[in-house]
Amino acid sequence: MKRLQLQRWSSSVLSPRARTVNRLHQHIYGQRYQSTAPPVQTHDDQTTAIFEESSPLDEQLAQIVKDSHTRHSQLQYPSPPVEAARQSAKLAALHARLYLPSRLPIETLARTLVDTSADPNPNFNNASLATFGHDLLSYYATEHLICTYPRLPLTVIFAAMYAYVGPKTLAAMAREWGPTHPTARPYETQKNWRKTVTSKIFYDDEFGDPLKGAKHSAAGVTTEQASAEFVRAVMGAIYLHAGRAAAKRFFEQHFLSRHLNISELFNFQAPARDLTRLCARESFERPVAKVISETGRKSRHPVFVVGIFSGQDKLGEGAGASLMEARERAAVAALKGWYLYSPLSVRVPSSMEEPSALPWKPVHVDLGEVIV
Amino acid sequence: MPLRGIRTSTAARNGAGAFILQCKRLDFHYCNWAGSSKGMVAFLEKTLPTFARENPQIEIRVSPRPQKHPLIKGLYINGREKPVCVRNMEPHEILKKANLLKEASGEKLKRVKKPVTSLNESVRGIWSPYHGDLRGV
Repeated sequence: MKRLQLQRWSSSVLSPRARTVNRLHQHIYGQRYQSTAPPVQTHDDQTTAIFEESSPLDEQLAQIVKDSHTRHSQLQYPSPPVEAARQSAKLAALHARLYLPSRLPIETLARTLVDTSADPNPNFNNASLATFGHDLLSYYATEHLICTYPRLPLTVIFAAMYAYVGPKTLAAMAREWGPTHPTARPYETQKNWRKTVTSKIFYDDEFGDPLKGAKHSAAGVTTEQASAEFVRAVMGAIYLHAGRAAAKRFFEQHFLSRHLNISELFNFQAPARDLTRLCARESFERPVAKVISETGRKSRHPVFVVGIFSGQDKLGEGAGASLMEARERAAVAALKGWYLYSPLSVRVPSSMEEPSALPWKPVHVDLGEVIV
Repeated sequence: MPLRGIRTSTAARNGAGAFILQCKRLDFHYCNWAGSSKGMVAFLEKTLPTFARENPQIEIRVSPRPQKHPLIKGLYINGREKPVCVRNMEPHEILKKANLLKEASGEKLKRVKKPVTSLNESVRGIWSPYHGDLRGV
């Protein structure tokens, strides 16, 4: 059995000095306001009592500490008071970590962290900023995708949009930016039902999901939703305070710079049939699959390399363990080669908003995928 | 439905566009009485204000830890933390340790064997035995 070390125990309990200094330093160096564990609730009379004990402290210091005992007053409203943002070390660090423009005040950054479910008052929550940021993100991402890959099928555009500015990515980004969770209330799940693909263009949001009536129910939101709203609100706040150029730079640096392999977003059901239709639509010759090379046809592990030809042109090539598999892979390669076409110099419509922009030349936008 | 899109999310490439410093907080602990904290107290008084000004991305906390050796603790975006004991160290040595914590990624230390790690595919491609002409033996 371990012996109880009486002397050390008694010294730590009996010394009032350590406790006083501890609390003092907590308030002078690391002022904790929002998003940290709350400090111990202290009444005003207790605070003054502590200061009377420690006489060498000057009055100014005492005043700082006394002022910081305002946790109770801060909690009486759903979102923290505007003045509290100036004194938060975490917010200042987040501002600097994201290299946000200095024109974006720290009070607005604090507001982006207040979700609608936490504070329903639109004057204090991030709903307006998030709506604006959401529109900006969708606009920039859509124009980038459509101008860079003009032949991308609609379902793949939806998937790519989801990958770039979907809630999952935004929540991951919020995690990587390192703030504590935005203030929000927990929630319950909802179920949605899908409509046809074509109706998604008109009726649904930019990810092909049905639009919901009210964004947040009274039951609250998930952390993922709240984090996504926070990221959107930051985007909106940057546009409002620092302007279009800064917002666009922020989008390019934080959103477009992330890695996405668009060729992995395709899920073909019948690639050979799609390719035949595509060739018919584009008036190419009918595609024909030919074996380019093979090995071990009678063995346990045969390999066939099949190419798909349209006249003299080889559209695609694939290797597989059976003739059918190789042909499917060749068709997939041919279709991806068509759909993933990207023009050399890409210019997006929003570049026309710059003051000294060259005259606009219409970008190439394809018919899209074949309808089977 | 002839063609479906597969939903994924993009992967972060810190530094490819924006760079986010992975160290988000540094805690400095010291003892007012013990001799091993002498250098740490001097560091807190002289060097720390400059260090904090130069690194606004990092939240800095100072708190006493009586009857214990001085300590710097780094908290990282991935949720891990790295404590470094700085007992009996001079202020310039402590500054080195603080910089080490600042520049760390927060991941566990591991041996890097390849000079380059990348999410992109190899430009050259993978060699295939079924392509190209047979060489005469």
